[in-house]
Amino acid sequence: MTETIWLIAAVTAALLSMSWLALAYESHWQQVFPESGTLPNRRRLKLSAWVFLLLSAVFCLNADHPSMAVLVWVMLLAVAAFSVAMMLSHRPALLKIICLPLFAAKA
Amino acid sequence: MFNSLRMSMGWVHTWMGLVLGFVLMICFFFGALSVFDREIDRWAIPDTRFEPQPMPSFDEVLKPVYQQLRPDPVDMAATERRVVGSLPDPETLELESLFAYTTHRDPVLLIGGEFAIPNEPIDPTDDHQHVHGRATVNPATGELLNDDALKIGSDWFYPMHFSLNFNWMMLGYWIVGLAALVMLAGLVSGVIIHRKIFREFFTFRPWKNLFRSSLDLHNMTGVVALPFHFFFAFTALVIFASNIYLPVTHTTLKPLHEHHEKLEAARTGLPHEPAGVPAPLASVDAMVAEAKRRWAQRDMAGEVGFLSINHLGDENGYVSIYRAGSDRVALVGEGIHFKASTGEVIREEPPRSAVSSIDEFLTGLHLQHFEHWMLRWLYVFGGLLGAVCIATGFVLFVEKRKARHAKTGSQGSRIVDALAVTTVTGMVLAAVGMLVANRLLPADLPGKGQWEQIAFWSVWALAFLHAAWRSSPVAKARHNPAWREQSLLLGLLSLSAVGLNWITTGDHLIKTVFTDTYWAVAGVDLSLIATALIAFFAAARLRAPVSEQKADNALSRNKQVNAYD
Repeated sequence: MTETIWLIAAVTAALLSMSWLALAYESHWQQVFPESGTLPNRRRLKLSAWVFLLLSAVFCLNADHPSMAVLVWVMLLAVAAFSVAMMLSHRPALLKIICLPLFAAKA
Repeated sequence: MFNSLRMSMGWVHTWMGLVLGFVLMICFFFGALSVFDREIDRWAIPDTRFEPQPMPSFDEVLKPVYQQLRPDPVDMAATERRVVGSLPDPETLELESLFAYTTHRDPVLLIGGEFAIPNEPIDPTDDHQHVHGRATVNPATGELLNDDALKIGSDWFYPMHFSLNFNWMMLGYWIVGLAALVMLAGLVSGVIIHRKIFREFFTFRPWKNLFRSSLDLHNMTGVVALPFHFFFAFTALVIFASNIYLPVTHTTLKPLHEHHEKLEAARTGLPHEPAGVPAPLASVDAMVAEAKRRWAQRDMAGEVGFLSINHLGDENGYVSIYRAGSDRVALVGEGIHFKASTGEVIREEPPRSAVSSIDEFLTGLHLQHFEHWMLRWLYVFGGLLGAVCIATGFVLFVEKRKARHAKTGSQGSRIVDALAVTTVTGMVLAAVGMLVANRLLPADLPGKGQWEQIAFWSVWALAFLHAAWRSSPVAKARHNPAWREQSLLLGLLSLSAVGLNWITTGDHLIKTVFTDTYWAVAGVDLSLIATALIAFFAAARLRAPVSEQKADNALSRNKQVNAYD
């Protein structure tokens, strides 16, 4: 049961991380926030993305034997990146929701 | 010949990728299906739809079953050609060794053994003097299951991805090995020719023209799953390196290998040869209990994955018991060996060395003995990303050349496009068509498995003929309608497979998901429905002529295109 919770946390962290990594590119930021002008704080986005990337690895390690956790993590990043790319091309508005924590940080 | 590294790498990537891409499509797609091979077996053989169970008692259940085991007629015929004189009656041959193998996903148990033969080999260096036998057992009752029922998942889709089921001179293995090597070269050359590997990491623009949007998808599916693509191509080569691709121990180094085998036997105390003195078999269940006790003592409590007995009925006989590697990235291991006649421990294998651990991790990550359903699905997804990457590569090849070919009258892009249809939609049609045939053919039909294989190849061949027959528009720089037609057919076939499973077995999704949950069958049915939905969606998208589609999309996405180009 606790394994499932750790894995859900890992999926969430990987998705957040990949979303922020994508939004740190001007072109993708424009896709999600066409009315907001230029990208506000690229460094903060990137930093949060990398922190969450590491966090998702830690969550994976909590869930499984290390040999398995490393595979789960690498595969999870691939799927998260693909999902973010698909959201950007088909439903960019969805990424606004994922960015809510970021607005809190901005204020 | 080329002005820059990028151009020369581009040449390698394009042409190697095209030639072996057709093979790689098969590896990736059937590899993805192999992740759930045991579950596909349950779908295809309804008699075995019960829960997975651990290795049963050897003394009470398995021992009598081995007495029913008979030499495989195919192996009898193959052995007959290698020995002097004719082989004795198979009923009289005696087992000299046996094994039993199971995993945490297997309701059924695979058993087998080697039968001794008295004949001399024609080639004196041929030391393979026995005939194999193999059977599938219901571990709950100890009864042998019908051997005519082909395990479509583990005996057809799974070997398809590493041998193309083309066993003549092991040629299938060699073609796949070459494809894996080219895959590695394709990944390296792909990274070199990719202009914006980070900037376009998340980029897919379906509203752009077919060439550009396919290139986006090709790059993105290749890059996001790059570690997966690399490690699976690489570990595929590692797995077969020592016994198939570089079999030095059985060719140039054979004498050394034989010598080492004898030295190792002396070192480990596991006899290399039988003593020639008959001896009884002590309780194997007691040995299993002792093995489990020792694993628990090493903080590795576990179940038996593999059990074997060598020199059966001989004074030198020994029983080897290996732990199933379900809880980590490992294969069966932690072997403990017992003297068969007394049950005393001869040898407990020491922990692995660093090199051996790395080897076990590399092969283990590919062979997936572990119990982790999420990672299994992630692997399926990785395999499908690989298939998308290669399929979009074919589209790129055709889109780049077809206008030029139309002008010059070349048939090149037309041929590639027809082959692409065959290996993309045609291959999935063959797999689903085989499942449909499995449900339509009566269960007691003699040689049912053979008929299913014929159905598989026939559907695939028909898909090729259809793709070739409909391909003439490509020579005029237009699209092959076979893409859409085969997608529609795939949607219909997938749904009918689900329906036929319901009609012939009574296992519908409400039952397998909710009332009498059985995820193996529910998972195959749900995947078939997902396949149907994707196929219908693709067919709908392919209906509108591309130029109109592009105009529509351009209008609706105008804002985005302006903002993001």
